[in-house]
Amino acid sequence: SAAAADVPRNFRLLEELEEGQKGVGDGTVSWGLEDDEDMTLTRWRGMIIGPPRTIYENRMYSLKVECGPRYPETPPFVRFVTKINLNGVHNSNGVVDTRAVSALAKWQNSYSIRVVLQELRRLMMCKENMKLPQPPEGQIYTN
Amino acid sequence: MAENSGTDPAVNTNADENAAKGGTIIMVTVKTPKDKEEIAISEDSSVAQFKEEISKRFKAKQDQLVLIFAGKILKDGDTLNQHGIKDGLTVHLVIKTSPKASGGSTSQASAPSPGVSSSNRSTAGAGNPPPASTANQSQGTGPSAAPAQPGNLLSGFGDLSNLAGLGMGSSNFMELQQQMQRQLMSNPEMLSQIMENPLVQNMMSNPDLMRQMIMANPQMQQLMERNPEISHMLNNPELMRQTMELARNPAMMQEMMRNQDRALSNLESIPGGYNALRRMYTDIQEPMFSAAREQFGNNPFSALGGSPDGSGAQPSRTENREPLPNPWGPTGSTATTTTTTSTSIFNSPGMQSLMQQISENPQLMQNMLSAPYMRSMMQSLAQNPEIASQVLMNNPLFAGNPQLQEQLRHQLPVFLQQMQNPEALSVMTNPRAMQALMQIQQGLQTLQTEAPGLMPKYIQMPMILIPGGIPGAPLSTGGGLPSETPPASAPTSTPAAGANPSQQQLIQQMLQMFAGGSQSTQTPEVRFQQQLEQLSAMGFINREANLQALIATGGDINAAIERLLGSQPS
Repeated sequence: SAAAADVPRNFRLLEELEEGQKGVGDGTVSWGLEDDEDMTLTRWRGMIIGPPRTIYENRMYSLKVECGPRYPETPPFVRFVTKINLNGVHNSNGVVDTRAVSALAKWQNSYSIRVVLQELRRLMMCKENMKLPQPPEGQIYTN
Repeated sequence: MAENSGTDPAVNTNADENAAKGGTIIMVTVKTPKDKEEIAISEDSSVAQFKEEISKRFKAKQDQLVLIFAGKILKDGDTLNQHGIKDGLTVHLVIKTSPKASGGSTSQASAPSPGVSSSNRSTAGAGNPPPASTANQSQGTGPSAAPAQPGNLLSGFGDLSNLAGLGMGSSNFMELQQQMQRQLMSNPEMLSQIMENPLVQNMMSNPDLMRQMIMANPQMQQLMERNPEISHMLNNPELMRQTMELARNPAMMQEMMRNQDRALSNLESIPGGYNALRRMYTDIQEPMFSAAREQFGNNPFSALGGSPDGSGAQPSRTENREPLPNPWGPTGSTATTTTTTSTSIFNSPGMQSLMQQISENPQLMQNMLSAPYMRSMMQSLAQNPEIASQVLMNNPLFAGNPQLQEQLRHQLPVFLQQMQNPEALSVMTNPRAMQALMQIQQGLQTLQTEAPGLMPKYIQMPMILIPGGIPGAPLSTGGGLPSETPPASAPTSTPAAGANPSQQQLIQQMLQMFAGGSQSTQTPEVRFQQQLEQLSAMGFINREANLQALIATGGDINAAIERLLGSQPS
C-alpha cells in the first residue's frame, strides 16, 4: 500500500480531475484539464470566482496550472490568464510568485490544485489586496 | 472515473422538449455559491440551450449566467460534449448582477469597474482639485464638501454625483443616513475625524449608553435570546470598554481584524471547520448584520446578500461599533438651503420640506425617533447641557441668528427635561399626533396672517424651541395658545426674540401643560413612589440618585439598580 508520501502522480491527478468535475468544495473555484486528451495530466485550467465585498467581486479569473513530473512532491506552476492586480502576481505576465503564496511556499504533497486556488482566493480577501484597483474586466496576459 | 453516461430516455419526464434534440438526457448539477440545482439536459445540447434551462430554474436572465466547468468558462456556442460534461457532474454557475455577461474572454475594456471611473474623474477635470485628489476610489470626499458646492460642480464629476444625493437630491432622512454611512465606510479620514469629535467620544466612552443602544434594538434582543454568549459579551464591562477602544482606534481595529482573519483561515482548514464557520455565520452574523442594517439604514457591508461564504466571515465585525451618524448634521444641511433672516425660521424652505416630508411620511418620524441612538443621544444631551448647547449652537440653522441662540439657551434645560419625559417621546413617535400638531401649527399660522393683532410673534418663541429636526413638543405649545387668554401678555410689537419675562412664563406654562399630557401632573417622585421605596429597602439610600436612575430608565427597577451600581465605583 502506498504511504501518503508515495501516491503515484497520475493517481493523484486523476483524483483531482474527478473532484474538479464533481464540484468538490464550496463552488468558488473550479479546475480541470486544459485538454481532455492530455494523457500526461500536466496542463490544467483553473477558475477563481472573485470573492464578494472585495474589488474582485463578480469577476472570474482564469488561471493555468502546470503539474510537473514530480507532482505532488513539488508544487505546481501557477499563472493567471486573466489580468489581475494582486500582491504576489507578476504584473507583466500573471505568474504567481511561489514565495508569496503560502500553499506554494510551504507545499506539502497532500495539497492539491484546489488548495492553491482557494488560497489565491483567500489572498484576494486580505486587507492589503481587497481594494487594489483592477484592470478592466476581460483583459488577459498575452505572453 | 466510473461515470455512466447512459440514462434510460424513456424514464425522463420532460423528455419531450429535450428529446427533440436527440441523444440521452443527463442530470447535471448546477452549483452557485448559494444554491444547487439538478438540471436535466440532453447530452448533445449546446451551452446556450443549457443556459436556457438554467435561466428558467434560477430565475435569472440568460445573459447574466456564466458557466464554469473544470476551470473553463463555457461559451454559448460550445456544446456540453465538447467540455466533457456528463451525467452526474457539476457545473459552476455565477449569476452576474450587472448585465455584462461576458467573462474572461478577449480584450473588452469596457467594464464599469471603480478602477475605471477614477480615470473618468480626472478627465472630467477642471473644477475642483481637492475632491479629485483626495480619493482614488469613488465617494472620497466627505459630505462637508457637498453642501458647500452646489449642483453645477457636482454634475461635473461622474463619481461624486452620488454625493449630490446627500444634501441636494433626496432629502429623505433615512437616505441621508445611508449616504453618510457609506461615506464613512469608504473614507477612513472622515471616520477618524468623526471619532475625534468630542460628542461621539463622550457617547462611546459611556458603556451603559452603548449597551442600552444595542439592547434597544429588537433584533439584537432576539439574537441575544438565541445566543446567550452575546448578552454575556455585552454585559461584561471590560469587554465593552475594550471594544469601544477598538472602535475609537481604527488602527487597532485593523490589527484585531487581521488576527481574526488568520484565526479564521486556520479554523477553516481543519476538517469540519468550514461547516462550523458557516453555521456560526448564519447563526450570528446575519442577524447581526440585519440588525445593524436596520439601525443604520444600510448594511455597511453591501452585497452581503446572505452569502454563505464562511471563509470570509469575520465575527470580529460583530464587535465593530460604527460611529453613529450625526443626526443633527444631515438634517441641518437639508434645512439650510438659504439661511432666512425672517423671524420665523421654521418657515424657511428647507424646514418646510422637512416638515412636509415628516407629515407625509409619519413613519419617518417614528423611525427617526425610535432609532435607539436617538433616545440615548437625547439622554446624554440632557445630562450634559454644555454639549447640548454646543451642538445646537453649531447647528447651521441657528448660526445666523444670535437672538435665537439666546432664546435657545434659556429654553434648553426645560426642553431637555421635557425630552426625557416618556410621554413627550411617545407623542412624538405617534404619527397621528404629529399630524395633528402640524395641523395646529398651520392653523396658527393662518391665524397669524389673518389676525396679526391677536397673536403677534407668539408663534415664534414656541417654535424656536425646536432644534434640529425635532419639531415635536413645542408645536403643541402653539396649540396651548388659543386656550390661554390672548390678552394675557402684553402684545408688544417687539420681535419675539426679546426675552420678555411674561412671555417666558407663558411658555413655561404651556410646556408644563404639554408635559403633563394625559397623565395627571404627577412628578416623577410620586410616580416612582413604589420603586423608590423598593430601592431604599434594598439599601440604596441616596434618594436623589435613585430618582435620577428611575427617571432615566423609565421606572425599570432592575435597570435603575444597574445604573446605580455602575455609577458608584467611578
